[in-house]
Amino acid sequence: MNPRSLVKLAWVETKLFTREPLALLFTLVFPLVVMIVIAGVFASSGGPVFSGVGGSEYYVAGYVGVVIGSIGLVSLPAHLAAYHERGILRRFRASSIPIWAVFGTQAIVSLVVAIASSLLLVLVALLFYRFDLPRSFSAVALGFVVSALGFMALGLLLATLSRSARVAQAVGLSLFFPMWLLSGAGPPPGVMPDTMRRVGDVLPLTHVVRAVQHPWFGLGLPGTDLVYLLVLLLAAGGLTAFVAGRG
Amino acid sequence: MASVIEVEELRKTYGSQVAVDGVSLEVSRGEIFGLLGPNGAGKTTMVECIQGLRRPDSGRVRVLGMDPQRETEALRRRIGSQLQESALPDRIRVWEALDLFASFMQGTTDWRALLEQWGLREKRGATFSSLSGGQRQRLFVALALLGHPEVVFLDELTQGLDPAARRVAWRLIRQVRDAGTTVVLVTHYMDEAEQLCDRLAIVDRGKIVALDSPQNLINRFANGIRVIFSTDQHDLGWLASVPHVRAVGRHGPRVEVDGTGPVLALVASALVAHGITPSDLRVEQPTLEDVFLAVTGGPAQEAFA
Repeated sequence: MNPRSLVKLAWVETKLFTREPLALLFTLVFPLVVMIVIAGVFASSGGPVFSGVGGSEYYVAGYVGVVIGSIGLVSLPAHLAAYHERGILRRFRASSIPIWAVFGTQAIVSLVVAIASSLLLVLVALLFYRFDLPRSFSAVALGFVVSALGFMALGLLLATLSRSARVAQAVGLSLFFPMWLLSGAGPPPGVMPDTMRRVGDVLPLTHVVRAVQHPWFGLGLPGTDLVYLLVLLLAAGGLTAFVAGRG
Repeated sequence: MASVIEVEELRKTYGSQVAVDGVSLEVSRGEIFGLLGPNGAGKTTMVECIQGLRRPDSGRVRVLGMDPQRETEALRRRIGSQLQESALPDRIRVWEALDLFASFMQGTTDWRALLEQWGLREKRGATFSSLSGGQRQRLFVALALLGHPEVVFLDELTQGLDPAARRVAWRLIRQVRDAGTTVVLVTHYMDEAEQLCDRLAIVDRGKIVALDSPQNLINRFANGIRVIFSTDQHDLGWLASVPHVRAVGRHGPRVEVDGTGPVLALVASALVAHGITPSDLRVEQPTLEDVFLAVTGGPAQEAFA
């Protein structure tokens, strides 16, 4: 396999992503708009409920995590399930473009889009609100990348298990919304009833939000969350390889 | 001529349904080989097994001397494929698709020449979703021809095309063969198979029921010829005794004579001898459709209509 072919595939997939209104809406616009509203509503709040930082900072960091969730759960699986359903993967495979290359470049493109979308989100937030930037950029970057890899693997698994783009979209959205609301990027965990918080704790997006927030607020590396996300990466990645290899 | 494809006793079942039932065939280098049959006869499964896209239950397949199951990647680089019911991403542009697919081929492939040859130059920057059915098919063939394949598989290439676009496609397929590429053509259109194929296998319920050139098939299985003319003369009883005449039918002034071989010349001279010189004397030759009726023993299904 010529590495230049893979770069070309990734570049074409990036261009295709920018031509897809639904994907753009969900990965760029939706987190941005919700962040602007909610970070504004709680701009003057703070204290222990918001992990000891101001409301704006709490939510800006949180929505960097939400971007990862919306790409991994909504846009990536719907995109690849449509490839499967419409015979695009077959078309690729018959022309010596292996499926692992399509999946792999798609995951990389999603990671790049997630980074771009997060940077845009922070830049727009800087125009509206006053908040502190991450105490440790490298630790936030680590949390972000581990989260993104875990969620891309989850997205690939959803795509592989879904027989159609509709199914992928329905499943993706019905996973995304509860995960988002209970992740800490909706109401802060401090105001949630115990049961809700416990449900949130087992959902993967909660760990993504924490993996970004904790190093951002200077609360140190969130070891448990990173381990959870690495396990997610291995489990979802392994299952995807198993299911795709069998089919 | 050397065989580029050899298939022996190929079998493939889906659950209890037998899709391909013990098929053997050989395709020679440089010919257009057709698989003709109604939808659901097993044609697509056959060519997908031959290309290594499906795993047969049993049987032996060799393409260019290679085993499609074991040497899949090496084989893919030497064959081209236009798949039924496949697609490209909606928003990919024509040039992007050609450029991308070409980059996965070995060696340099000039996709710009194919763009020109297949009449896609004006559509270079158009998205896949904006192309017409004919343009999409031309793009698929162009993609299949990237990297100069030795064998190209075309599965229901002209499905959904209007008659003018189909004729253009036929001309281009002949060009592909004339350039030295072996073509395997899957179709359910009788006229397409008759026009295009050098040799042709008629497929029915997973089996090959006849295999030869279209003309030989017609000669062998449908040698009936019908001579038609009009006359006011009522007493035509003598026509039945003309050699090679099998039956005479009459509908008002219109007379239909069914026969074989040289029946036209014999009927014509007998008519003249009896002082009948109809100005509308004509003959209906049998077609592949008659062959299909003869070899499958059933009416052509609606797919052939």
